[in-house]
Amino acid sequence: MSEGLEVTKNECLTQEKKEPPLNSEPMTHDDKPPKSTSSSSGKQKNPSKVDILLKHAGDAPIMSKRKWTVDRTKKISWVADFIKKYIKSDPSESLFLYVNQSFAPAPDTDLGSIFDCFGSDGKLVLHYCRTQAWG
Amino acid sequence: MAEDREVLREVWEGKIPVCFQLAQEDIYTVDQPDPFFLLVPRLSYFPLVTDKVVKHLSKHIDRDNQGEVWLEYEGQALKWHYPIGLLFDLYGSKADLPWNLTVHFQNFPEEELLHCPSKDAVESHFMSVIKEADALKHRGQAVNNMQRKDHKTLWNGVMNDKFDQFWSVNKKLMETSGEDTFKFIPFRVYQADQVPLQKLFKPTDDSGEVLTLRQLLESSVSHFKESESRVMIQGVEPDLETPVLWLSEHLSYPDNFLHICLLSSPSKVLESES
Repeated sequence: MSEGLEVTKNECLTQEKKEPPLNSEPMTHDDKPPKSTSSSSGKQKNPSKVDILLKHAGDAPIMSKRKWTVDRTKKISWVADFIKKYIKSDPSESLFLYVNQSFAPAPDTDLGSIFDCFGSDGKLVLHYCRTQAWG
Repeated sequence: MAEDREVLREVWEGKIPVCFQLAQEDIYTVDQPDPFFLLVPRLSYFPLVTDKVVKHLSKHIDRDNQGEVWLEYEGQALKWHYPIGLLFDLYGSKADLPWNLTVHFQNFPEEELLHCPSKDAVESHFMSVIKEADALKHRGQAVNNMQRKDHKTLWNGVMNDKFDQFWSVNKKLMETSGEDTFKFIPFRVYQADQVPLQKLFKPTDDSGEVLTLRQLLESSVSHFKESESRVMIQGVEPDLETPVLWLSEHLSYPDNFLHICLLSSPSKVLESES
């Protein structure tokens, strides 16, 4: 058992040091905001992507561009990191994301699932704030 | 629901024997630490039950290099924010008992696990999942109509393993009488090495016909094949014709979600036993 363990741990270590906690799933580069088309610009929807609408709450800065198209496989933690970069918030600062202005999905939840369950009118509204606003 | 209260209690009382051992590379003392045995509730979360384990094992580590504690089973890091029973069904259901877990104090796998700074983190995760479940069931109205102390009662019921305390409040979330029936079933389907699936699924179809676990799986899991999978909820393999509403009311975890494991089934050998 311990041998199997060694292997996993080493893998973890190498990944862990290099990458920021973003997913390494197929997507545009991590240091730029994702290449996105606001949904008004394109008629046909890519089924592997979802539209999200980011709204601020509390004292979190407003984003000038609020509507983004993102891979379904992206995690909530990825969106949080993306917003932090966009509003130039310190990476160590916390940012909370809420659905329905009521619950905060676990950071490892994929956007596709949340969109399927809580999206409406073809988009998913997420509120972001710096403190725990709801719950 | 009342007539099946015994089922709720049986589910609540499910426990798993676990043997915790310190990771070899974390052992800093000459003497080997004794393993630590514990009978843990399926419905609880590891950070709520491992205080004594951590205290015992931490006598044998290098305190100056102590990182965040995490658990591993045969190379698989275990997510603290999943209920223990779900982790066991998903990874350990073929294992011999006690379930042998390795405790680590170093090399936290950032890519795989969320940090758990305190029990408060477990509480806020738990309440968030409850709210999500209620958003699916009652558009969030049941949980919103509660007072803060009701939320605390739910949490304390889980934390202190108090069935009556928990259900005194949880019954309001499980209300299905008359017009109040669940709008959607809060469920997730887990498969090894895959992102959990979560979709909208109603307890009945448009004509009012009751929908079953089989229909839920066929509609949410692509290529679902009964012959190739074992379906496990709360450590049991329910009949696929069971109505999902009944399952949701009775086999949900305290977070109000039905956590369904789909396991590959070379071990359908036990089937002849009944």
